[in-house]
Order: sequence, then C-alpha cells, then structure tokens
Amino acid sequence: MTPAVDASLLSELLATARPEGWEPVRAAAEARLEAQGLPDTAMEDWKYLDLSPLRERSFHSAEAASPAPAASDIPGLVHPEMMATRQVFVNGFHAPHASCATAIPPGVRFFPISTASEACRLLGTLGEGAPDFFEDLNTARFTEGAVILVPQNVRVEVPLHLLFLNRPAGDGVLPAVFPRVLVALDRGAELELVEEHHGEGAYLSCPVVEVRVAEGAVLRHERIQRESLDAFHFGALRAEVARGGQYHSRTLSFGGRLSRQRPRVRLAEGAEATLDGLALIGDSQVADTHSFLHHAEPHGTSRQLHKCVVDGQARAIFNGQIRVAPGAQVTDAQQQSRNLLLSEKARVDTKPQLEIYADDVKCSHGAAVGQLDPDELFYLQSRGLDPEDARNLLTYGFAADLLARIPVASLRRALRHLVLARTQAASLGDLA
Amino acid sequence: MLSIKNLTASINGTPVLKGIDLEIKAGEIHAIMGPNGSGKSTLGKVLVGHPSYEVTGGEVTFDGKNLFDLEPDVRARAGLFMGFQHPIEVPGVSNAAFLRLAYNKKAEAEGRDELDPLEFDDFIREKIKLVSMKEEFLDRSLNEGFSGGEKKRNEILQMAVLEPKLAILDELDSGLDIDALRVLGDAVNRLMRPDRALLVITHFPRILETIRPQFVHVLSGGRILKSDGPELAVELEERGYDWVLEEAAAGGRR
Repeated sequence: MTPAVDASLLSELLATARPEGWEPVRAAAEARLEAQGLPDTAMEDWKYLDLSPLRERSFHSAEAASPAPAASDIPGLVHPEMMATRQVFVNGFHAPHASCATAIPPGVRFFPISTASEACRLLGTLGEGAPDFFEDLNTARFTEGAVILVPQNVRVEVPLHLLFLNRPAGDGVLPAVFPRVLVALDRGAELELVEEHHGEGAYLSCPVVEVRVAEGAVLRHERIQRESLDAFHFGALRAEVARGGQYHSRTLSFGGRLSRQRPRVRLAEGAEATLDGLALIGDSQVADTHSFLHHAEPHGTSRQLHKCVVDGQARAIFNGQIRVAPGAQVTDAQQQSRNLLLSEKARVDTKPQLEIYADDVKCSHGAAVGQLDPDELFYLQSRGLDPEDARNLLTYGFAADLLARIPVASLRRALRHLVLARTQAASLGDLA
Repeated sequence: MLSIKNLTASINGTPVLKGIDLEIKAGEIHAIMGPNGSGKSTLGKVLVGHPSYEVTGGEVTFDGKNLFDLEPDVRARAGLFMGFQHPIEVPGVSNAAFLRLAYNKKAEAEGRDELDPLEFDDFIREKIKLVSMKEEFLDRSLNEGFSGGEKKRNEILQMAVLEPKLAILDELDSGLDIDALRVLGDAVNRLMRPDRALLVITHFPRILETIRPQFVHVLSGGRILKSDGPELAVELEERGYDWVLEEAAAGGRR
C-alpha cells in the first residue's frame, strides 16, 4: 500500500510520460471547460442525451468522507473471492480501513494516486481522441484514485476489486465525485479487474479509467455501474493494447438517472478486444454508450455485443464507432447491437458506425430493436409457463446472457439476482 | 383422451388441415406418417396451440374439455406435451432452472408440493439418466448451442420431468444417430403407462421399430388418407407413400 515508485514498469512508463508534469494538463482541461460549458443537444455527440436535469442542479466537489461506510452492509457488494484485494473509495477518496491488500501478489503495485504523486504525469497520455466535457471535469478536479501496475509475465490469480461508493454529503450539498484509475500491464502480464460503482441519493460521478496493455498481456475488465437512480454517471475509459495484447471488457449499466459510457480502445498489431455492454433501465432513465474501437494496425480482432433492455419511458442510446485504419489489413471486427423494448414508451437509438479504410478485412455489424420473439414465448408456454412468466423469463435471459462468463462466481450470482429483480423475474424463484 | 372431429386449420389464410378425425384413448400409441408438407407437424402444433395457426372448424376435446378453450400453458399443465422438431434456443436461462420452473408450475396446478433447488437436483439427476444426458447440459442455457441430437434429448428430458398424459413427438428421429434414437425411444417407452398416450409424428418408419404404435395413419394434403395397424408402417417402409396417395385418388377417401 506504500507508493512503490521504484517499480521498473512505473519508471518505464514515466519515461514516456509528459515531461512537463501534470499542472499544464489540468489547466488545459480547466480552460476547455470554461470555454465550452456543458454540452447541449445541438452537438452531434449529445443529440439524444439531454443534460437539462443536470443543469437544474448544483454539485460540489466531494470532500473526504469520514467515517467510511462498511461495504459489508451493502447486499451484493461483498464478494468472498475478492475480499483480500478489495480497494474501497468513498466519494472518490481511498478508504484504507475498508480496503485490504493481503492477496495482491508481490510485485504488483497498487497505490492510491494523489494529485501530488509522480504517477500523475502519466495521466491523460493514454488513448486517442479529445476528452469530452466530463472527462475534462475529472482531469481538472480529481484528487485521488488508483494506480495498478502488473510487472512482466506476472499472472495475478485473484481478481482485483475496485469499489467506488458514493454517499450523500449529509448537509444537503450534492457531491460531485471524480475517481481516476490507471492500469498498466507489462509484457505478458495478466489481470482480472472488477470496477464497481454503487451509490445512494443524488450526486454526479465522473470516473476516468486509463489502461495500457503491453505486448502479449491480457486484461479482463468487468465494469459494473450500479449508481443510484437519482445519480448522474459519465464514465470515460481509454485503453491502448499493444501488439498481441488482449483487452476484454464487459460494462453493465443498471443505475443512474442519466448515464453515459464512453470507452475508447486502440488496438495495435494482432491485438484483441472485447467490448461488451448491457444497459438494463426503466422509469425515466437514460443510458448512453458512445464507443470507439480503433483497429490502428493489421491482424487485430474485436468483438462487441451491446444489449439494451428498456422499460417504462426510459431511453437507451448506442453509438458504436469502429475504425479500421489504412493498412490495418486482415482485421476481424464484429459488432452486434440487440435491443429489447418492454413498453410502448421505451425507446432505443442505435447507430453502428463502421469506418473502414483497409480492403482486406472481415467486418460485420447488425442492429435489432424489438419485442420478445413469439416463437420463444410459445415454446415456454408450451411447457406450462403462463404468458407473463414466459415474458419475464425471456427478458431475464436476454439480459443475463451477458453475465454467464463473469469469472467471479459470487459477483455473477449477485448480478443475476439484480437482473432477476429488475426484470420482474424474481417471482419465478431462484434462477441464478 | 383426445377426440378430434373434422378439424380444419389454416396459416396466413391458407388451409393446411382439411378435416381431420382422430380418436386416441388412454394406453394407445398412434403414429402419423406422411410425405413432407402433408400437414403432420401442423396437426401437432395446432393441438398445442401454436399462435401461427388459425383453427377454422371442427372440435377437439382433451379429457372431455374443449381444447380450444384452453390457453397453450393451461393445456401443458393439463397434461398435453409436444416434443418439437426444432426446439427453440433460450440464451441466459439455465436448463436446470427452466426445468425446475416448468416442473413447479405443473406441480402447483396439480396441488402437489413444489421442489426446492436441492430437492430438484436429486430429482433431475435421476431423470437425466433416463435419456443418458451429461450433467453439464443442466448448467448450460436452454438449448443454446446444443446439436440437433442434444436438443431432442432435452425435449425428451422435459417430457420425463413433466410426465404428460398425452405426448406428441414431432420427427423425434431427425438429427439423431441410431444409438441416440434407441436411447430416446426406450426412454419414451418407459414413460408410457396405461393412463397415458402417445402420438408419434414421423416421415420415416425407423423410429416405429422402437416406439411401437398400435395405430398408423397416413396424412397427406391435410387429410388422413388411410388408417391401419402397425403393419401399415412396414408396408410404407417397403413401398413408400405414392401408392396410398394413388389409392385415395382412385377410390375416394377411406
């Protein structure tokens, strides 16, 4: 838990970090925020995501909460497999008393970053494309976060759990929280990372996660957004995957009144990426995913399955951009957007966006928006399930399909229970 | 148990069943055979209430009740079952969870005790032996990625779990190798009892060497052209269907 700035990986990373340090980056972000202001629906990227509800409220950067709540009190957040790697952050601040690092193997560096740390010089150096408003907000305001470094050829057996808990400040002030995470895997390293956001009450959460996967390294990244239904969540993810590296992520969005996921991944030669997503929303929730997958070099492979289950008057947005750069031959990219509308007022806007500048590629995409399949409904009915149970079971299955390959059993089970409850399938008994 | 009188049905306005009469009593095994496109599968799907078909005339009673007054799920809980030729895949729902749900819904309808997951675990372990299914198939999503043969095995497993009064088996042999066909045929025979009945729909007579019917019907053009004892299946094996169709055309219907 003590900063291990002598780690060779960090030294190497810092050698490529910006020499001038952190403050100019923060100042530039601040300047853009002031110049641009909050995005509005006249901007192409924000056409479907109206931020008016955010404009009506005033948020203030959260201060270190004391005392930290016990995460053990929260059902579904205790995962025995990860108790000894769990790092808890409350309103963006590391909570050492609720955290444990005993199962983090020697050599792997985990330490909280503060804005004063040297690791800060690395932040904002990874990934491509301009940051959006909320990423700038994080860059300008964040005070703490986590740096995870896995040295060469180290395979971390125990999944690492980053748990971000967001809590009302108590004095009626709406907190704004800015968690920042940097993950760097050296050559041939392997890690499973579980990033979970959970909250109560109204607040603004703007996490930024930066990932570097070196040659032949493998990162499996589960991202679970369980913010409160009154919260606003705008998350940015930037990943750079070096030659032959693999980055597999699954982003599950359940909470948030307004939420956006903005993953951006760059693949070098022969690199692989999975960028799966689920948004399970109802009432008047809005969940937006704007993803960008860049096949910058040849022989890359990517898979993206994005599912939305939308009930009530909720609205889901999926904008899936895939770019195959000139010369990125023998790229294999597949994208699927599948959407289930459960009510007449529910709405999905899905837009696959393939930009292919190489000629020897295998790329496919498909988008489907609809109701439940009548043949599937009939099959279940023919086995004695009444139409309502059949509908609920199929809805559950549509969503739970994405949970099947979550490697942590207790997490998988907790999320299945969450999906059961959210799809009205809980009355069907324990299907998990 | 099942009484069909002058049943007619259509799909998208096109008539496919043009007057079917059939009586099935408890303890009986009937086979419906016929060329492709004859309406065999349609008859089964109409009986279990598939929404694509419209019943345009006739009467069907099941255990004395008007079948068409009952929704498909009510028919299932009342003891009607169809093993489909092409079972649907349902991702995300484990086979075991689905089987337990279906079992408990039927148990509830019959006023029997439901089984909790542990009790059901013991119950289902016995049932999968009957169809020689590997346990791993219980944890997989319902039919997802199953081969044609594995789906058929799963259909018969569902039959073994639900223990229907009348089971309609549609082209059970398609997708099955000869050993699997024998295993599933034997399983079906073991599920047969004097108070139950079977309707086997098949194009090929092969399956009738294991599941032996007392009555064989030839269906073509939406009508039953000929009904006879098990020797009819042997004759169809040797001579094909054309002679039945010619005989019917020459002499009118039976």
